[in-house]
Amino acid sequence: MSSEADGTADDAGPLARWARNAIHNPRRVYRALFYVAMAFFMVTTVFPFYWLLVLAVTPQENLLSGSFLPTVDLFGVSGTFPLPVPKGFNPAAFVTVFEQVPFHLYVLNSFVLAATTTVIVLLVASLAGYVFGRIEFPGRALLMLGILAISYFPPAAFVIPLFQAFAGNAPITIPFIGVPLFTPPRLLNTPGSMVMPFSALFLPLSIFILTTFYGQIPDGLEDAARVEGTTRLGALFRVIVPLSAPGVATAGVLTFISVYNEYFFSSIMATSPEASKWSPIVGGILSYQTQYTTQYNLMAAASVVGVIPVVVLVIIAQERIVSGLTAGALKE
Amino acid sequence: MSADTAAEPARESRQSGPVVVFLRWLENLSDTQYAYLLLTPVFVLLGIVAIYPLLRTFELSLYAVSTDLSSVRFVGLDNYVALFTGEKNRFLPGGTTFLPTGFDAASLLDSALVITLIFAVASVLFETLIGLGQALVLDQDFYGRRWVRAAIIIPWAVPIVIQGMMFFLMFDSNVGFATPILADLGVVAPTNTLNDTISATFIIIVADIWKTSAFMALLILAGLQSINRSLYDVARVAGASKWQQFRYITLPLILPTIGVAVLFRSVQAMRVYGIIDTVSSCTVVPSLSCMVVSTFNTHEGTSAAIAFVTAAIIGVVVMGIILWQGEDAI
Repeated sequence: MSSEADGTADDAGPLARWARNAIHNPRRVYRALFYVAMAFFMVTTVFPFYWLLVLAVTPQENLLSGSFLPTVDLFGVSGTFPLPVPKGFNPAAFVTVFEQVPFHLYVLNSFVLAATTTVIVLLVASLAGYVFGRIEFPGRALLMLGILAISYFPPAAFVIPLFQAFAGNAPITIPFIGVPLFTPPRLLNTPGSMVMPFSALFLPLSIFILTTFYGQIPDGLEDAARVEGTTRLGALFRVIVPLSAPGVATAGVLTFISVYNEYFFSSIMATSPEASKWSPIVGGILSYQTQYTTQYNLMAAASVVGVIPVVVLVIIAQERIVSGLTAGALKE
Repeated sequence: MSADTAAEPARESRQSGPVVVFLRWLENLSDTQYAYLLLTPVFVLLGIVAIYPLLRTFELSLYAVSTDLSSVRFVGLDNYVALFTGEKNRFLPGGTTFLPTGFDAASLLDSALVITLIFAVASVLFETLIGLGQALVLDQDFYGRRWVRAAIIIPWAVPIVIQGMMFFLMFDSNVGFATPILADLGVVAPTNTLNDTISATFIIIVADIWKTSAFMALLILAGLQSINRSLYDVARVAGASKWQQFRYITLPLILPTIGVAVLFRSVQAMRVYGIIDTVSSCTVVPSLSCMVVSTFNTHEGTSAAIAFVTAAIIGVVVMGIILWQGEDAI
């Protein structure tokens, strides 16, 4: 630190030497900037997860006493440590989470809802993707534009009539004509009231992904299968879909994650946050709050447990997510 | 069924039965008929869950329910007029207004429309800048790139309720460690942080930036990777600095991608609801979706009118996307 004014490079400190080289070679500056930026993005991304862990392992009785930022005394200079640190260590919170509330059942509900939606979306979007990607027919552009437009509407524009229909009190009537059609069964707190909106909400993205992938299969392969005597539907499900496996996986992974993450319909259609009434993970995590005391450590522990499945999925299916998100938004 | 078989001799088969009859009927459809047949499930699903609710929402917005809930009467566009003149404000929770009542900070922040626009503009602006930074990092070749990319994508995949928990727990009055730090800097209110409109809006915007920047980064990265790399070789030979390469090659070439991504994200940002509901509450940060949800059980017509106005605003942005992308949009 004290060698800044020295004449030769050999005597200079490492920082001064680096700076001198950097002037001659600006690439080193860009490299350093790159590492600083990368470190910044990594820290800001990971920090909220670290905070959940800190809170989760802090014992309940220590939560409200003292600060998460301890005062450290370093060589006579006392200051506040810049990172939150657990106040005690209680890994048992990760067991208590399941004892207090059947959190595993909420996660299971989310899994079942997400898997059901994914199957429905993949089936319907496969048929539509085949049509849009491989058949020229009148009205094709207009229909795709319509589906695109629907996908942009906010869920709030759909929720009032859907909630009334799923409550099963009044018959469904044709808008503006007033002809009553039928009274639907009460679907609130059942998978139906959530899977239906989810499917419609996430269908357009899958249609666009599969249209892209199905459109890329050479016509000759389908023709060959048809000449061999396959039916039209057989050609779709035995030739086109298997050849587009990466596309189907992309659409499936994105739909699954989107449903698992969904908040709007998950919180509105499951009116009572009980695991036995199909309340998904949203209801599970919020139920630590609505009891007599807010159990901060359990809320954090439940959040950590709930986030594990998607983290694993992202690490495994990274390539698929990247290609699907870009294809879906940019419609390449 | 057997009569049908006899009536359709176009393709002969020794087998019979309903499945075979169906398949044979399928084989003889024209391309257009076949296309529309395969699209039937899409029409049914979107018809029930999207088009019917949309039309019905519009219909509901034209009616008023009497105060004793016993009768409804047609009022035309009165709900919309009352919404824009401020007569409906008394139905909205927590002193919220639809349009701002004045141009001072307090009345602007009480307005559902203004709060939603502030949220959308601020979060999308910062997501674009941070996403551009992340994309430039991910565009480099370095050891462990795959893991850094996974780490940057993970926030996008975190369920909204858990994202909300993270930021709620950071700023909660009992356990939140971040409140005193940011309050010392004057960014958030020192007490009752999550019940203060300005502080809560700021925290919600930060939470959204944390989650969604990765999405912007991926879109911009796709644009970056489609740039012809030999352009940079030419620039280097011509003696362009890194900054000049960015300014005169990278930026102009990714600007169209950024434009599409910004419009796409703005549409999503206008829907904000879940993060508000978990971090703060709809009375503190009254977004448009929040207003729809908190009034639809009590004031159906008002709620439907707000929902339809939200949809209309988004429709205008969507028109922008379609005009921007032209034929490429489909």
